[in-house]
Amino acid sequence: MAVKKIMCCCGSGIGSSLMVRMNVEAVLKTMGKTGIEVVHSTTSDAQPGAADFFVVGADLADFVDKLPHKIVLQNIMSKKELQEKLEAMFAELGE
Amino acid sequence: MIADMLKKENVRIIDRVADWKEGVQVSIQPLVDGGYVETSYIDGVIANTIEFGPYYVLVDDVALIHGRPEQGVNEKQLAVTIVREPVVFIGKDTEKKARLLVALAATDGEAHIDVMRTLAELFMDPEKIEQLVQSQSTDEIYQIFLDADTAEAE
Repeated sequence: MAVKKIMCCCGSGIGSSLMVRMNVEAVLKTMGKTGIEVVHSTTSDAQPGAADFFVVGADLADFVDKLPHKIVLQNIMSKKELQEKLEAMFAELGE
Repeated sequence: MIADMLKKENVRIIDRVADWKEGVQVSIQPLVDGGYVETSYIDGVIANTIEFGPYYVLVDDVALIHGRPEQGVNEKQLAVTIVREPVVFIGKDTEKKARLLVALAATDGEAHIDVMRTLAELFMDPEKIEQLVQSQSTDEIYQIFLDADTAEAE
């Protein structure tokens, strides 16, 4: 599956989700991945089909429990953790 | 630019708060006083915290206290409060402590993106965080935030 869209979520859709989105964009660039739309929103927008996969902080893991593909970050500001988990996700999705 | 969203009079240093609710309240109060948010914004953030946990403790020692735009934001703005004695935010399974409280009022998901970029750089630098929480004056704290703008621009 070609990943086209990643959604980063937090409770408000204006704080940590935006910070995570900026980190995802930076890490994708490092990984040489292009053509992927990265958006940020509230956890209530995190519905199956809204994106190919979702990125949330550990606090909100329960709210995205039912989504098939998601990355749960222990440290939402860590680019290292993010890159490891993004690589694993791309591998899982067969890229 | 941080300079457009943070006013020097909205930088404060206090010794301690009774609990995290008071931490939320004191950090947002300057924004209420300035008319940037309604008083209900404080209650909104407290309610969100009870529902979601302290989602705004982004890294150790740093809380970016905020709610949703529709919870009473009039105009985008920041306020910075250093609490000498760490505020303990209670989550579902965790306790998170923070001495640097940055209250954020955002009018939508995007308008403050440049400021968030600057704040992200600042929050990812443990030395800067330490410098901020150890600061002896609000002038010093304000200057560190302004300098972060310059550092981001380089």
